[in-house]
Amino acid sequence: MTWLVRSAMCALYPRTEGLPGLEDCDVDGFLERFQRESPLLMWVGVLAGALVFHLTPVFTVFVPLPAFLLPVSLLDRHSSRIASSDWYLVRQAIFLVKFPCGLCWGEHPEVRRRLALAAYPQDPGTWRVD
Amino acid sequence: MPHVSFRERRFEGDVDYVVVGSGAGGAAAAVVLARAGAKVALVEAGAWREPEQYPSSAYGAMRDLMDDWGATVTMGRALWPVVQARTMGGTTVVNSAIAIRTPADIFTQWEREHGVGGEGLRDQVWAEQAVLERELCVEEVPVGSRGRSNELAMKGAEAMGFESHWIRRYAKGCEGTGQCLQGCRKRKKQSTNVVWVPEVMERGGLVLSCAPVSRVVLEGRRAVGVEGRFQHPATRELGASFLVRATKGVVVAASVTHSPVLLMRSGVKNRALGQFFRAHPGTGVFGVYDEPVDQNVGATQGWASTHYRETPGLKLETLSVPLELVASRFAGGGVELMKRLGQYRHVAMWCHAVRAESTGTIGHAPFSSKPVVRYTLNADDMERFRQGMYLLGQMHFAAGARAIIPGIAGLPFQLEAKDVELLRNGPTDPRKYIAILSHLFGGCVMGADPTRSVVDGEGRVHGYEGLVVADASVIPTNLGVNPQHTIMALARLFANAMLARA
Repeated sequence: MTWLVRSAMCALYPRTEGLPGLEDCDVDGFLERFQRESPLLMWVGVLAGALVFHLTPVFTVFVPLPAFLLPVSLLDRHSSRIASSDWYLVRQAIFLVKFPCGLCWGEHPEVRRRLALAAYPQDPGTWRVD
Repeated sequence: MPHVSFRERRFEGDVDYVVVGSGAGGAAAAVVLARAGAKVALVEAGAWREPEQYPSSAYGAMRDLMDDWGATVTMGRALWPVVQARTMGGTTVVNSAIAIRTPADIFTQWEREHGVGGEGLRDQVWAEQAVLERELCVEEVPVGSRGRSNELAMKGAEAMGFESHWIRRYAKGCEGTGQCLQGCRKRKKQSTNVVWVPEVMERGGLVLSCAPVSRVVLEGRRAVGVEGRFQHPATRELGASFLVRATKGVVVAASVTHSPVLLMRSGVKNRALGQFFRAHPGTGVFGVYDEPVDQNVGATQGWASTHYRETPGLKLETLSVPLELVASRFAGGGVELMKRLGQYRHVAMWCHAVRAESTGTIGHAPFSSKPVVRYTLNADDMERFRQGMYLLGQMHFAAGARAIIPGIAGLPFQLEAKDVELLRNGPTDPRKYIAILSHLFGGCVMGADPTRSVVDGEGRVHGYEGLVVADASVIPTNLGVNPQHTIMALARLFANAMLARA
């Protein structure tokens, strides 16, 4: 199921002339880490959001195909429209996908370099035991 | 063995007082008790991280410092996150350490509506706050650490002609690294894990980390200790059980959401438990400026105004938001979203906190200690909310913004000055806004009437012996200002009252 999440994330944050997209940000490594470290309920929410993303092109671009089968131009239009849906629960479901997207994309050194931000040092992930 | 972290062998300890929670309330109470010579155990659900162990990224902050990855949301018309930390030091690690004295009208309101407070409590709280300001080095954000976002906010307020100020914080020599929300790795923020928890240990106290308390142990109506099971901070696997017995008293300061749940699960009977939950819901408006703002440079929150605290009931503040969170907060998706994110260096976020009158409840999920917060803003509060958006929009334009990004569903992504009236007539449906609840109150409110309150004016749980609550859950009304200074002062007073009774 991870590929479903990955493809929704990459469609929402695509590569552009000015900025790297999620596919340039080691999204696979990030997802492996996120799935392992985040609460199960959060991961289930992200999965559900990705499902909503893939099953709704018929409402946004009026094509009865899952999003992962859409051509690039239609996929981009779908990404834009579904993320701004008038339906609150749909917007929230997509937000669940956008949340890890933001975490992954915004911490990537190349993205930060392009936006004149200092690269983050590695998070220690340690705690005091003595 | 002054510090006990996650372990797989059962731990038992005996002390005079046990304090649950190491945030603003718990640590303040613990250090007062320890200074008086009592043996104190401080029990914290989260891990103990030294500042050099703090994460830098938003991902790391969610994982290592926030309660449940910040995923607790209100159950109501809108799903708004309830922000609290879960780490040694509690929310003092991840907030902006803002120190504002409790406004005088609050004590009058508490006395009138709840039978506690009045001028006597006011004088005591202010005296404690004066001590805290010296002890925790409260100072105004230094000139060199303000950053452009804060300076623009001051410019906007001055142009609009309302009173505002540089924020005073528990921070000694802030260097303006813009990392308040991820914890101050420079050790400038005087969070409780840096100042008071080590002192409790030095004075012979016992500190347990990675130790969520599942139950206050009661013998009849007397609190005699706490028990729980260690939880590994990375894997979240449960370790061994622990029991800390207290001969003189138990102080619960586990946060607004966790304290009521802990008391419920311990069998404390009180009709007001979990009731009268309140908050300062808030959101922000981004201004887009021609010159780079670089909001990540300078104090995360350096400017504020309490000018609108009474009417309509708003506090205005700056808040620099990490790129990761802006990336998920900006509306839209695809190429359009990426173009919007290209503006990051040019945006400044200013936010409002509504002094909301709406109340909610706190309970817990079935067979779980996870708090469930039920809360929806009423029409009056949504009107305040909308007015706050309008004010922030006006402020940005007064400061020279070329556009604003209000983040309201159904409105254009970006508005120009001529469109700012759209905010005045904006939606009053909370589902249209992306907001959070930052300052929380209630759930174990104090008052004289045991049928309408959980604790008395000294934090004692009605009908129980040796059981005191000392965090924001006792605060019965919205303050309209940042609550940390009030929480700390009340906790110190409650601890002193415990010592006097002993």
